[in-house]
Amino acid sequence: MSSAASPSLQATGGGSARPPFASLRSRVGASPWTYRLLVLAVIGTIWEIYAVNLRSLLIPTFSDTLVGVVTLVQDLATWDAFWKSNQSLLFGFSASLVVGILAGLAAARFRSIEGFIDPYLNILLVTPMAAIIPLLIMSLGIGLESRIVIVFVFALPVLIVNTRAGVRQVEASLVEMSTSFGANERQIWRKVLLPGALPAVMTGVRLGLGRAVTGMVVVELLFVAVGIGNLITTFRGSFDPDLLYGVVILVVIEALILISIVRAVERRIAPWAHGTVLRE
Amino acid sequence: MIEIDRLSKTFPARGDDASVEALKDVSLEVREGEFLTVLGPSGCGKTTLLRIIAGLETFEGGDVRVRGRSISGPGPDRAMVFQSFALLPWASVVANVAFGLELRGVPKAEREARAEELIELVGLTGFEKRLPGQLSGGMQQRVGLARALAVDPEILLMDEPFGALDEQTRRLLQEELLVIWEQSRKTVIFITHSMEEAVLLGDRVVLMSPRPGRIVDIVDVPLDRPRASVVDDMAGSAEFAQITADLWRRLREMQLFRRPAREAAPTIGIGA
Repeated sequence: MSSAASPSLQATGGGSARPPFASLRSRVGASPWTYRLLVLAVIGTIWEIYAVNLRSLLIPTFSDTLVGVVTLVQDLATWDAFWKSNQSLLFGFSASLVVGILAGLAAARFRSIEGFIDPYLNILLVTPMAAIIPLLIMSLGIGLESRIVIVFVFALPVLIVNTRAGVRQVEASLVEMSTSFGANERQIWRKVLLPGALPAVMTGVRLGLGRAVTGMVVVELLFVAVGIGNLITTFRGSFDPDLLYGVVILVVIEALILISIVRAVERRIAPWAHGTVLRE
Repeated sequence: MIEIDRLSKTFPARGDDASVEALKDVSLEVREGEFLTVLGPSGCGKTTLLRIIAGLETFEGGDVRVRGRSISGPGPDRAMVFQSFALLPWASVVANVAFGLELRGVPKAEREARAEELIELVGLTGFEKRLPGQLSGGMQQRVGLARALAVDPEILLMDEPFGALDEQTRRLLQEELLVIWEQSRKTVIFITHSMEEAVLLGDRVVLMSPRPGRIVDIVDVPLDRPRASVVDDMAGSAEFAQITADLWRRLREMQLFRRPAREAAPTIGIGA
């Protein structure tokens, strides 16, 4: 989870060779959707063949699962369950956004705050989150509050770490330049440190969101049977594998939609951070 | 214009590193409208000297006065050009040039109009909307120069501004700087480690020596102004060669002197 330093570098893979399938791509067309749908079709086909041959009660076919998804979407109870679950995501993630970003900013600039936060941050980073869920449930009960706290704790460390790294990576020469032109601390924050940290902060938001969704589902699945977790548990108990898989797919779709929103926001407010090292 | 009076600066010991006496008893008077170049080997404190004048660095002993008033930090009368360009990577050329004015609260329309003038002066018309990452090093430093000129400072402080550029770009920018300076006649303090650059641009060359950083000599450059149009002739002249060779001889002695004894005094001379 400490991919904070240079997240965009990971995507390049280095090397100077021609990108694979370059000629294929020029024939198929440049849209990434072509590949995406192609991969989906391959997985779907393998899944279908495998499930049909297996004839298991526990593994639905790909087509049955798709029907299950449609069934679920038409059922109001599904929407109700998703709303219930997403309350914890909404409050928990919002809180971790505010706290995580502010803590990251403060830790980046002030040594005393850094010294205070660092040990706790390390604890949060190395502790398996699933292990502390029972403790939180015991102390906070099985209500919405404990689910909110769990989502919050899941998302918090990556937000702090990425924000801090984002501010730290702003070149000292830019701060110095601003000072030489008479900038005060407030101007240095507004015009240099915050815009400079923005791409890394947005990476933190994206990673944090992924972890928040994980936290939301894990707690409902293992400890508090409400919302999405309750749906999954129920369908598992009633041997409705098509609906069970359907719920999982809906969760994945929700996560994808949320991440795309964050990406769109990121591209809008930090356009300079994109496409600098990516090869065509 | 600028009086530097027995200036001393020591960087305190840090970890295993002993403290460093960066400047010791440096006294210097910079005249109004003068182009002063500061030359010395690395570690001679020339950049520290400039940063102190810019108000970016504190000092223990002595005084720095601009127009008779002791400085206590950065001021609107001074603007700096950085070796690393120090451009905001997310801001367009216009926004970067206007940045100093923005910090001073100049309204957007006004500061952009002013930035536009300077963009034209440094020859970047047509590149206003580009981001620094889309410009060559030479163009980036033009932006850095325009940004410093935009706030209309009395004193331009230049910290090896062309040090990160290739030879050809550096020569072009030296010429253009001469053109711009000969029109505006601002007071310039220009740090460099190149003898040719120091002589080509400067009215006087301040020669500094390391450990502790101090001024060993101030050399008058007797070349005529304006120089911009005759740079090539001048750089090829015997007089120019004489001055730069003399400066190099003295710089070389400083460096040899610092070597361990058994390495000193190479038997094979390096052709002068």
